[in-house]
This record gives sequence, C-alpha cells and structure tokens, in this order.
Amino acid sequence: MPDSNLDKMRAELLHGLDVAKKQGAQGAKLSFGRGEAISCSFSAGRLKDTEVRRSSAYVIEVLVERKRGTTAGNDPADLPEMINRAISLARVGSPAHFSAYPAPAETKKVKKYSGKTVKITRAGLIENCGKMVDALKRYNPDLFIEAQGSRSVSEGLLVTSGGVSHRFEDTAWSLGSLAQKTEGTDMLFVGHGHSFREVNDFYNPDLITERLLFDLKHGEKIVESPEGRLPAFLPPEVLGMFLWPLVLGVNGRNVAKGDSPLRGRLGEQIFDPGLTIRDDPHWDFSPGAAEIDGDGIPTRVMMMVEKGVLKNFLYDLDSAGMAGAEPTGNRGCMPYSPEVLPGAEKSGDLLASIDDGIFIRELIGYGQSNMINGDFSGNVALGFRIKKGKIIGRVKNTMIAGNIYDLFKKDVALSSDRDPMLRLPSAVVQGLSVSTSK
Amino acid sequence: MKDRLVSALKKSAADYTEVRFEINDSNSITFRGQEIDSVSSSKLSGGIVRACTRGGWGMAVFDSLEDLGNGIREAGEGAVLVGREKTELAETAGPATAEVPARLERDFRGVSLDDKIKILSGYNTILLKTDKSIATTQANYSDSFRTVHFASSRGNYFREERPRVILALSAVARDGALVQRAYDAVSSKTTFNVVQGLEALAEETARRAVKLLKAPPCPGGVYPVVLDQEMGGVFAHEAFGHLSESDFLYENPQVRDLMVIGREMGVKELNIVDDGSHPGLLGTQAFDDEGTPTGKTYLIREGKLVGHLHSLETAAKMGEKPTGNARAIGRGVPPIVRMTNTYIEAGKMSFKELLAGVDRGIYARGMMGGQTMMEVFTFSAAYGYRIENGQVGELVRDVVLTGNVFQTLHNIDGFGNDLKILQKGGGCGKGGQSPLPVTDGAPHLRIRDVVIGGK
Ligand SMILES: [Zn+2]
Repeated sequence: MPDSNLDKMRAELLHGLDVAKKQGAQGAKLSFGRGEAISCSFSAGRLKDTEVRRSSAYVIEVLVERKRGTTAGNDPADLPEMINRAISLARVGSPAHFSAYPAPAETKKVKKYSGKTVKITRAGLIENCGKMVDALKRYNPDLFIEAQGSRSVSEGLLVTSGGVSHRFEDTAWSLGSLAQKTEGTDMLFVGHGHSFREVNDFYNPDLITERLLFDLKHGEKIVESPEGRLPAFLPPEVLGMFLWPLVLGVNGRNVAKGDSPLRGRLGEQIFDPGLTIRDDPHWDFSPGAAEIDGDGIPTRVMMMVEKGVLKNFLYDLDSAGMAGAEPTGNRGCMPYSPEVLPGAEKSGDLLASIDDGIFIRELIGYGQSNMINGDFSGNVALGFRIKKGKIIGRVKNTMIAGNIYDLFKKDVALSSDRDPMLRLPSAVVQGLSVSTSK
Repeated sequence: MKDRLVSALKKSAADYTEVRFEINDSNSITFRGQEIDSVSSSKLSGGIVRACTRGGWGMAVFDSLEDLGNGIREAGEGAVLVGREKTELAETAGPATAEVPARLERDFRGVSLDDKIKILSGYNTILLKTDKSIATTQANYSDSFRTVHFASSRGNYFREERPRVILALSAVARDGALVQRAYDAVSSKTTFNVVQGLEALAEETARRAVKLLKAPPCPGGVYPVVLDQEMGGVFAHEAFGHLSESDFLYENPQVRDLMVIGREMGVKELNIVDDGSHPGLLGTQAFDDEGTPTGKTYLIREGKLVGHLHSLETAAKMGEKPTGNARAIGRGVPPIVRMTNTYIEAGKMSFKELLAGVDRGIYARGMMGGQTMMEVFTFSAAYGYRIENGQVGELVRDVVLTGNVFQTLHNIDGFGNDLKILQKGGGCGKGGQSPLPVTDGAPHLRIRDVVIGGK
C-alpha cells in the first residue's frame, strides 16, 4: 500500500485534533486503520468461493470537561461530522477518570509485519486448503469437509492530543479445516486451525490435518461416559478456555467497578503453586503482538498469576484512573497473548497417569454461566474417555460443571511441552464434576 | 442509487452477480454502576459484490461506491477461478423494483440524546436502589438505522430500511463470594415507545438477582421440565431451527437423509414455523439479502418434517422453493441461510394442566444463553423453580439443560395454549455473523427426561 495515502490520512487526523480542540475539547484521540484480505473456502470437499476484502475505519474519542464521547466512521468525508457528534456526545458523556491523554513514551519494538506473509497468494491458500481436504478424504471419503485460508495486510495510525503519533503495519494468515461424520443421528465434528502474523512452522496444513485425524480416529468408537468427580485432561486450547474467568477477573475495569471476585485480593494464593500465567504482548508475530494500547501507552509483559499467587490487574487509562492504579497498557483491560508457563511432565505421561477420566476437546455452552465468578458448565461436544492411561473412545451426552477457582486451587499438573502457537501446556485437573444421560 | 448499481452490474460477465450496499447509523449509551460507561455513535457504509460462474463464487468487499466497478470485476474473476460445475440458482420471486421505507410509529432519530440518557438513567437508578445487595448494574440503550440497497444482474432492485431499538437491563447482586445476575431486555423495529415505561421491569430484574442469591443451585439429574415461552422459543430456534437451514444440508448427503421431508421428527401436536413476513417483529423484513420476498415456512407440521430454510442456491440444489432466508448481518458479509421469527405453535393445555402432570421436576424460565452443535443442544435458563406435585415451588439458579434434539422433540408431552413471541435484544450467531436480529417463541412446553447439569 502506498505510504503517501497514509500520510494524507495522518494530516487529516492531526487536523481533526485541532478541530476538536477549537470546538471545546480538552483532549482527543483519533485512530485509523485499513486493510486488505484475501481468502478462500472449501465446502463439501471442493473449492467453493474466494473473497477480496478491503475495509477501513476511524475512531474518534474526545474529552470535554472530563467527559468522553466516542464515534466511528469509515467515509473520510464524514470526519468533520463525526468529530461534531463526538463533541456533542461528550458534553453529556461518560465521566473520564483521567485528565489528559499521556505523552509519548518509549515503546518496545514488536514485530507484526512479515514480508513472507504478504507474499502468500490466493493460489497458495487454495493449494494448502486442498492438501487438508485431500488428506481427510483419504482417511474417509464420506466425511463432509470444509477448509478455509486467509491472508491480510493492514496499516493504521493513532494520534492523540498527548502528542502520540503512532503508525503500525501488520500482517496475518489463517488456515483451518473442519470435518463432520454423520452416522444415523450421531454427528461427529472435528475442527482445528492455525493463525499467526509470520509464515513459520505453523503454516503447515499437515499439522492441522494430523490433529483432525487424531480426533476422528479416537472418536470412531462411542464408549460409556464416566460420571462423578473425575480427573480431566485439558489440552492447551481447552486450558485456555478454562482460564477465561481469570481474564475477566483481572480485567481492571471489572476490578474498578467491583464486578471482579478478585478485587482486593492481590498477593493471595488463588491457584495451585504450579500455575504461572503472564501476558506477553512483545512476542513477535503472535496474533496479540502490540507495542502500544489504544491510548498510546506502551505495552508491557504483565505477570497475572505467579506460582498461584494473584499478582496484577490489567488497566487501560480510564480504568486505572477509576481504580487509582497505574495504567498497564492493556487495551480494553484485556491481555494480548496470555501464556501459561510449562510444568514438569510430558503431556503423554500426564495422560498415561489417569486411571479413569475424561479428555475434553470441545465444549459448548461453556460461557453461559456466571463466568466472572468462575462458574462454568458445558456440554462436552467432543471428548474422550481415558481408562488405564489410554483413550478408549468418544463420550456423548456428557456435561461438566464447576468453578475454576475451586478446580485450579490444587492438584493441577501441567505438561512440560506446550502448544507452540498458543504457548499453553496441557493440564490434568482433579475432581471435575461430570454428569451424563444415557 | 438504483441506476448506479444496475449499470455497474451490466459490466459483469458472470452467470449471476449481485451487489448489496448499506449505510448503518447507530448510537449506544451504557450505564455501568453509578456512571455512564460509554456513549458512542457510528456511521458506517460499505458493500459486497457476489458473482457466480459455473457454480463457483467470487466475492469482493468494499467501503466506498467508488470501488464498486473494481469489486464487480474482482468478484467476477474470483468466480471464474473457482467455478468447475454448473450455476444452479433458483429464480428470484417478487417485484423487479421495490422501495421499503421504515414505518416507525415513533422514530428514535427524533429523540434527543439527553432524553435517551434520562430514560436510561431512570432505569439504572431503579436497578441500583432496589436492594442493598445490588453490587453493580448495566443498562444499555442502542439504536440503529440500516439502509440496504440491493441489485442483481437479473434486474432486481430493492431499497429497504431496517431500524431497530434495544434496551437491555442487568443487575448483579452479591453476597460475599456469591454473585448472581439477572437480565431483561426489550427491542422493537417499529417504535421508540417500547423503551419507555419500563420501571416495573427494572425493579423486577433487580429483585430477581437478589432472590437468586438465596436460591440453591438446580440439582443435576434427569427430570420432566416445563419451559416458559422464552425457553421454548430458544429450544425451537437453537435445537431444531439451525438443523433446518439448508446450507448445512444441501451438499451433505448423510445429513440430508436425516432431515428428509416427511421424516417423523416429534410428537403429533408439534408444529414449528419460521416467518420472516410476520408484521412488526425483529426478524421481519420485506426481502432477504438476495432479493427474495420473505414468507411463512412450516418446518414441522403434525410432528413431520415438511420444510427447509433456503437461499437461492440451496433451493435450486435441493429442488425446493426459495424461502427468503438468505440473510447477512450487515455490510461486507455474504448472506447465509438464517432463521427469522421462529416459533412453536400453541397447543390446548393451560399452564396449570401442564404442571399437573409433574410430580417432581423443574420449571425453567428466561434465557441466559443457548448453543447447539447440531444434534446436541445446551441452554441455560436465567432462573427456574422446582415443581413438586404439580405446584411451582422453590426458586433455583444455574439451570442448564442439555440433550439430543431428535430424542427431545419426541419427548414433548404437553403444549400450552399461551404462545408468545419474544422481542428481546439478543440475536443469532452463525458463521461468524452475530448478532442477527431474530425472534423466537413458543407456548409453555412440558418435556420428559431432560438432562439438567449440576455440580
Ligand atoms: Zn441461532
């Protein structure tokens, strides 16, 4: 994309800052982003469509007498109107818990743009999707198979009345596949995908297929599901899902508003001492990689839980003001790339140590409970029974329920090997409540 | 606009090409606790071109109409690259040209920001002040006015305005480590007035959160369950409705066998309908996003499967009629097969008669969330009551129901005479497009052997 265009936009945004000030705003921030993406998808085992997507948008926030108003648009011609709207919103708007947008500060350079990713072509995406589809067809020609691939290139700007003028460029790709096996009224769904900002080892259709075949093979046989309080094997992405309530709990806005059950509990042992969870926005080319947050504050590596002890909450500018804390550079008070540090044993050994338990691959309805409180429940959409250290088959009509702050309090074993793309290990937890209907 | 779209489409060499261009103007105000948490407004426009050649689709998404010609060319090239088969698309029914302006009894665009904030602030104050144990609240008002222009290479054009206003209230009550939330919402596409006069609803919502603190968790197990109209509607939509969306069926022979017309799906009293033309409901629109007029489709009649929901492509490939269910959530995304207003028709039993058949069971009320993975469904009631000897008893929380849809449709053994279609703020999610405005409804339903998850 030509730079001159973005320079023109920067000039418009800077002009917008002036206009906002002249109209009575004490502060303002304007951001702009645009991108181009190509994608393809396969359905019923053959190429079905391709898409080219070009989109842009800008967001304006103004500060008038310590109140905020926010507008968004995507037609540059509307920019003056949207500044006006933001000012009139701010006159009655949400109280700001800060007096000014911060001045620029030194940021850590984080890589988000890869020339190799830019070079991914539509033909290349189609070829990789085709490989996944063919491998699955070889396993079972009756499978209903879908696959998707995409590549995007984006760039953008942030200017604030604090003097921040930041420019970014990033790239991303994704590859994924889904297979469905139907026998009578039994439907088995398996799916997996990868995405990253740089073309690296993860950009490999064979790895995705391997995972789908693992699930298909272990899912062939349906076995009786276990019941009661049982050990459960949580593979990396499921461990990540179980940690959602923690993400809500350390969210600084939830803390400041009093919604988080973790408020006032920094320094407390909330989890098993084996658990260390931190956020690393400086991981080059990760989907969450970020140098600054939405207010221009530099990001930093944040320890959330260290050896089971609650260490930090994540704050953006406004929420930090509300809580009387320092902003931590977390946009929306959310982590960028949360990771769990590895444990001691190989995941294979962990699984082998389970005498009778459940392997959870996919849950539905997980987020329907009082999640911020740590409560969860869900239907095991895809799960396997483990007996004497081995997966013996797929379970059906199985529900789990509990509270993550109970479940992760003690007896959590983490694997020494992690999913390299998620930076999460596998985990074995004890005493998960499992119920079933036969 | 019409001329611009139609003349641009003339340059397309594809078997079929369409363009949809939308302008969406929206506003949102949120209170959280004592304060306004955010006030925002947006105006976004953009479009998508879809072209089909030899059965393959090419799509191009753009923001500005200046890129329309380019989009048509790129979509056409994409379709050529993909197409290896035959283009099969059903005929577009309905008029060649239509203008469908919004009919608003009271237009929210004429209401000042100050007035909207005042109304919302009033409800938020009620939520906060109803009880000491209310820890925090959330009150959200939002409105959007979507103008959709559609044209196809078949010469069809429509412009339809799709307004919507939503008010959602939630209260969180706390007692030590225990936190309970209650939620309610109203929504309309016909008038701003629905968001007024909701003081009682606000108070009831707060009271429920407080009462849930004292309520025991719903015991796990297998029970007869009575669903209220909201839960019944969720059941119709989530557990069954998604299965009748033909984009999931048409190229999948095994699932097509499962959902074959004439199949015995449930008990004889069961009728399930999808009706995108039902006057005034949130899922209602004149045309779907391929230009097909919406209509009423029976999915199940007297327990038998009698219909599917279609786009132009799925209808042609399954040899059925398009039903006007190809819907896109907004600018820049393609239409996919979706529900509109989906409901289970009323039966004959009074609520009392339904309860009378239950010795020990659960009365599940209000929706917290619902999800399906085809045959398997899971949904959470906002709250529930024990039923003992035909009487509604103790309030219980954490009511999560799950099951297999094929078994469950056969296990409905009571249909109330009190059908209600709910217009709440929620919407449907599918294929990354969420929330699409839909409604669902049912009479009170009684179902045998429902699995309730418990700790
Ligand atoms: Zn849905």
